[in-house]
Amino acid sequence: MQKSGNFNIRGLLGGLAVIVIITGLLRTFLTGGFSASNKVSITFWNGFTGPDGIVMLDIIKEFNKENPDIDVGMQRIPWATYYNKLTVAGSEGRGPALFISHADAIPRLRRAGFVDYADDVFTGDGAINPKDFDRYVLDRVKFNGRFGGVPLDVHPQGLYCDADMLKKAGIIGPSGEAKVPETKEEFLRAMDAATIERTDKQWGYALTVWGANMRAVMAQFDGKFLDEKGNSVLNCPENVKALEFVAGLTKKGKVPPPSNGLGWFGFRQGKVAMVWEGVYMVGDLTRVNSFHYLGGPIPVIGNHMGTIGNSHVMCIRKNLSPKEHDAVIRFVRYLSTHSLDWAQAGQIPARVSLRSSERFKGMQVQSAFAKQIPYVLFPPKTPVIFEFMLQMDLACEYAVRGQKTAQKALDDAQKETQAIIERDRREHPEDYKS
Amino acid sequence: MTYIQKRNVTGWLFLAPFMCSFFLFVFVPVCISLWLSFVQLDLTNAAQSKVVGFQNFSDALKDDLFWKATHATLNYAVLMVPAVLLIGTALGFGLYGMSRGRDLVRGLIYLPGMLNVAAAGILWQWFFNNEFGLINFTAKRIGLPVLPWLSDKAYAMPSVVIMSLWWTIGATSIIILTALQQIPQMFLEAAALDGASQRQTTFKIVFPILRPVLFFVFITTTIGAFQMFGQAMILTGGGPEFSTRGLVQFMFETAFNGFRFGYGAAISWLLFGMIAVFAVIQSIVVRRDS
Amino acid sequence: MKKPSRIVTTFMLFIGLMFLMPMIIMVLTSFKSEKEVMEPSSVIPQHFTLANYSQAIHSAAEAPIMMWSLNSFFVSCATTLLVLVIGSMAAFALTRIRIKGAEIVMNLLVGTMMVPSQLFLIPLYVILSRLHVLDTPWALILPATAGGFGVFMVSQFMRSLPPSLEEAALIDGCSFWQVYWQITMPLCGPSLATLGVFTFIASWNDYITPLVFMEKITNYTLPVGIALFQSSYSTQFGLTLSTSLLATLPLLIVFLVFQKQIIESMSSTGLKD
Repeated sequence: MQKSGNFNIRGLLGGLAVIVIITGLLRTFLTGGFSASNKVSITFWNGFTGPDGIVMLDIIKEFNKENPDIDVGMQRIPWATYYNKLTVAGSEGRGPALFISHADAIPRLRRAGFVDYADDVFTGDGAINPKDFDRYVLDRVKFNGRFGGVPLDVHPQGLYCDADMLKKAGIIGPSGEAKVPETKEEFLRAMDAATIERTDKQWGYALTVWGANMRAVMAQFDGKFLDEKGNSVLNCPENVKALEFVAGLTKKGKVPPPSNGLGWFGFRQGKVAMVWEGVYMVGDLTRVNSFHYLGGPIPVIGNHMGTIGNSHVMCIRKNLSPKEHDAVIRFVRYLSTHSLDWAQAGQIPARVSLRSSERFKGMQVQSAFAKQIPYVLFPPKTPVIFEFMLQMDLACEYAVRGQKTAQKALDDAQKETQAIIERDRREHPEDYKS
Repeated sequence: MTYIQKRNVTGWLFLAPFMCSFFLFVFVPVCISLWLSFVQLDLTNAAQSKVVGFQNFSDALKDDLFWKATHATLNYAVLMVPAVLLIGTALGFGLYGMSRGRDLVRGLIYLPGMLNVAAAGILWQWFFNNEFGLINFTAKRIGLPVLPWLSDKAYAMPSVVIMSLWWTIGATSIIILTALQQIPQMFLEAAALDGASQRQTTFKIVFPILRPVLFFVFITTTIGAFQMFGQAMILTGGGPEFSTRGLVQFMFETAFNGFRFGYGAAISWLLFGMIAVFAVIQSIVVRRDS
Repeated sequence: MKKPSRIVTTFMLFIGLMFLMPMIIMVLTSFKSEKEVMEPSSVIPQHFTLANYSQAIHSAAEAPIMMWSLNSFFVSCATTLLVLVIGSMAAFALTRIRIKGAEIVMNLLVGTMMVPSQLFLIPLYVILSRLHVLDTPWALILPATAGGFGVFMVSQFMRSLPPSLEEAALIDGCSFWQVYWQITMPLCGPSLATLGVFTFIASWNDYITPLVFMEKITNYTLPVGIALFQSSYSTQFGLTLSTSLLATLPLLIVFLVFQKQIIESMSSTGLKD
């Protein structure tokens, strides 16, 4: 038998053991030594990774400095896994004191049973006036006549333009600078003008997230997800018109074919002149040097201006100690009052008063997108939001790819979503009272 | 105590540390997920969950999305399992047959496996991109047809398989190589002394010795293929039209995004059933051969 | 078995290069600017930039990279050590001592591998919470030792070894512990080293478990921590590639440094004589 062969694996195990001991000791040495202070510590979870998170961290740093008795600790989890972790931790009683939820996710989260009401933010000393929010935004967080959270921002979809490409295509205003199209005719003209046939083709406009693009037009036609009774009306004529427009662009070859997948990347790469995307994408563009972009409302294709949007809502956990609760309320008010700093990251403050400030007007994309605020359509307020949107997006995919007509795709989706809603009513009758 | 008893006691002592961990972190969760599949979970108070019998299972069998996901999973497995077995074994033998540079090539083949799935997925997403992807760009240059790799139903799954092969085949090849290297040299020398040809040695001696390891590769590859999740999630998000949305992704999203944990558990157990059927067939085939 | 042939060697070198190519492209792309990043016409960066890396690291205050690396090393090494020891002991009991019920245990073990583990996230979270190990490295290490993969793999390798040596040692009066440590372990060196490599890499790259089981930022592992600098909204190719490379780099360094030892234990048969 060979001696070295005998030595090797056991030597490897021994080596591993040594490393484990050394790193373990080093860890205890480095993490230990933090003594408990008499500050109230509150945990704040959100999905603000990337540049957003840095902006939020700065706001928290400032708050901690101004409030020496409170220590807010933020934990960022990428949105893709955020709700999973939040649900798991929340149902085990380890959830954060304060957390961000998208407006449309609150009904679902409430089912996990750890979301408290946030009424105290709006009453007592230093209260925030609920009138400083758009009514329909507040409606999204109202449950049983109480506030299920405090909206931090509104983030609608809007039109992004590559100024250089539009200018080159001759889409200019009186001043000779690129002009952001506002009407359907202007939009289609700009789309054609900026589309250039080359070996390396350049497009005037590209779809991004098909379902979201369709919903932006749907808002302009006054389309609806649910009727007053909470039944699915996905196949209403308004929705069909919206989907027909979006799918029609592909059919007529005005936009890259479905197999292309240019979308937002193409825009960032300078191969697409216009896209519709969420206001939060601004942060993505600031990284690209020497890129001249302009923001504007989605061109009016339907009856009036309109778009799809959502809100980040600050939600409070149940069973906080009075001290923690008090600290959380103070922090929520602070964040709400300072949401202009947050807007910098690519958001529109939920507070109406902040939007009229000079500082906000200085943020070109944000303030341009904010013109749509009165007409923003939110995703439906239903606990089965995930399955609902899944079916709707699938319908849009079928229509854009030309597998089904818009009418047929939405008819099918209406049946599916209605079945989902009816099942949920059977399984959770308590959520459908009143 | 008899010798046999003593032997058993010692044996169980050897097994004890693993069994404790296994019981706590696998067996209990498995039992919980079995229970889950028969209830409609109440997240606020799990103990009060409503027992619904086989409702979750029958719902799944009536669910169009379940069948779509099953189709995607089977599609992936049918492409992936034979590819991994054939190519992996071939590469393992190839490595073994190298006169020089074996360690280098082994390292190179395994290198992609060191990347996390996000990095590997993003990289290939770019390779596969229609418009500015590397593969289509090169194809155009040398006059090959340009394919809609990720955005067409016909090509999306094969694309996911190609990326998965690049990412995971190294492990299979290394296992085969290791098994070959672990064959005591004296066996082969004895065969050579007896005048056996190379082919005879391979089929009469090497493969029988390799059988347990090949069986291991069979089973784990099958399990892995049926549980495909991350790659498709990143490359295609499950599209186009759910053609690459496998059962695990369906289960995960149903449970964690749709909050239907009972239904998710039932999907898991149906998937378990499918894997088990395949595994049993495989082991019968392998045993009949021996 | 076969004479090493030149054709096989050349072919395998070519295959190796095929596997390497995407990695090289990845490294090159990570040095491209955001605008250039997806230009297929120039694989080599025209405007070499470190922007992706500086953004990935950002600032030390928000990104305790050293702490994350330390956590990753601790977790991966401890997991590997435990998996190898516990797993080889279990495999030894199942295939060499051949205890009563070995068949049942084995079937149970392989059977549970077939249940998708994604669903275990909640039960595991609850169990770890009750054990008071959440937000500590043990929440990552302990569950990793329970997987059937390692035991199954080592068992199958042990099965392909001739039992004659061990039987002889037992007749000579060695205890099972001595046989395990002095005969079987060295004989299984290659397979254990291979399993060790797999375990280490899997543990290092684990993403969802640390994300869910860890709370304080100083307890994050490297891949999880470093991913915090990516935006959730859109993929930034250059940034994703550079952060992934940064997270994989320590892994590569470990393997380069210990290459000789690992490869020796991977390929030594212990029975060469």
